[in-house]
Amino acid sequence: MTKLYNNPADFREELIEGFVAAYGRFVRRVPDASGVMALDAPRPGKVALVIGGGSGHYPAFCGYVGPGLAAAAVMGNVFAAPSAEQVYRVTKAVAGDAGVLYCYGNYSGDVLNFDMAELRCQEEGIDVRTVRVTDDVASAPRGQEDERRGIAGDFFVFKIAGAAAARGDSLDEVERLARKANARTRSFGVAFGGCTLPGQSAPLFTVEPGRMELGLGVHGEPGVQSSHMRPAREIADLLLDALLADAPPDAGSTVAVLLNGLGATQYEEMFVLYKDVHRRLLAEGLSPYKPIVNEMVTSLDMAGCSLTLCWLDEELTPLLDAPCASAAYINC
Amino acid sequence: MGSSEIAVAVVRRWLALALEVITAHEEELGRLDAAAGDGDHGATMVRGLRAANAAVEKTSDGAGRLLIEAGAAFSDASGGASGALIGALLSSVGRALSDGPFDTATATKALQAGLSMVMRLGKAQPGDKTLVDALKPFVDALAAQPADQPLPAAWRAALPAAQAGAAATREMAARRGRSAKLGERSLGHADPGATSLVYLLQAMEMALAEKCE
Repeated sequence: MTKLYNNPADFREELIEGFVAAYGRFVRRVPDASGVMALDAPRPGKVALVIGGGSGHYPAFCGYVGPGLAAAAVMGNVFAAPSAEQVYRVTKAVAGDAGVLYCYGNYSGDVLNFDMAELRCQEEGIDVRTVRVTDDVASAPRGQEDERRGIAGDFFVFKIAGAAAARGDSLDEVERLARKANARTRSFGVAFGGCTLPGQSAPLFTVEPGRMELGLGVHGEPGVQSSHMRPAREIADLLLDALLADAPPDAGSTVAVLLNGLGATQYEEMFVLYKDVHRRLLAEGLSPYKPIVNEMVTSLDMAGCSLTLCWLDEELTPLLDAPCASAAYINC
Repeated sequence: MGSSEIAVAVVRRWLALALEVITAHEEELGRLDAAAGDGDHGATMVRGLRAANAAVEKTSDGAGRLLIEAGAAFSDASGGASGALIGALLSSVGRALSDGPFDTATATKALQAGLSMVMRLGKAQPGDKTLVDALKPFVDALAAQPADQPLPAAWRAALPAAQAGAAATREMAARRGRSAKLGERSLGHADPGATSLVYLLQAMEMALAEKCE
């Protein structure tokens, strides 16, 4: 249940105000727009990475704005894509002379609004490209990777694109690297309970007590399998079975790992799960690279977690390692 | 009043009535949306229509310009896919509403432009369980009215086609948008977008009756 709000209709606006008040050392409000921008944006000679989506997924999206990461985040209402007008205004505020890359999870509302903004910016002579994150293997089968929705894999794609932009790569190059990161990233999740929107008294969706849903989407999109609750080590195997069966071609043996909490699942439980994830990765001959066990893309107070693997190579690893500073992720 | 002044009065009155009608059905639309979405369709429509009404208060141009402004304000206040689509519908109808006579032929042409914009943007076909399932039958029925039929009568005659189209979405599984991922769960519930579109069309019937008859 979302408990802290005043008027539910003001939730987005008030969260932006509070976020900027708290993290003014990383971001400022985009004037007259629902979004935040890095203090040093627009950055001359650098591609501007613009991310965004509905609210309710913190740290996605505003938590990833800062040096070495996104130039700005456009923030929609809870679970609703930001309007094209807002995407346009945020883009105008941070576009430098090197172009703009839009990066966001693949949902129809986001696609519509970001595409309309992209068109409008192109008409004004701003070079805008788009890379949609499609990491959730539960949302469409192999061969239809472009149809998949974006979940916690957002983080790796944003990080890699942000680092390439900060390094001064051209727009072609930043786009290529973001696309490559997405093509090598897979996620799969398990849910134990639904989430409740601000002002609503009933959850948006539910998971029956004693059961779990594999592959359930972060807005309640149904999963691939419902099962009775299992011990952590079996859940680790279920998650990894799905990801390893879907490994990209030329995967290699080094994987960045993110075990992501969805909002209501405890960190210590996730460490218990991660122990078995780690052991299994090693048994498969894979080297976990700087694993992260944290909340990186949430869904209000949803219970559950997802596992993301990003198969690295000599090109992606330095970008993942590059320094960055934002409210939710600092690497130095 | 000349034809263009009548058109302006109709658009303003329609936006006010649409807000009233949708507000009266806000809860119902939310319930329909909760079946396979996040339950905020009613609230989103009300937010969009409030913004659209506020936008036309500041505009004194022709009916087409009013609709373009209303559409932009609607999209921005609503967000999401439905905000983008309904806003684009209003704006493209506005762009196609020539300064010519405010009659059945002009309205049909403008709505056809709006329909094709919505289908192009949303990539939705009839049967996908979207607002297209109410809008397309309505536009087709309007186009089938005798050319000399006055607009209020033609509009009234075409309305049942929209209602039947929206009702038929109960038997459909969603294939577009986020609810497509919930396909089966949407069976048995009318599409909220098609339902709210019928309310918008009904509000226009009332506005036309008040201002033209």
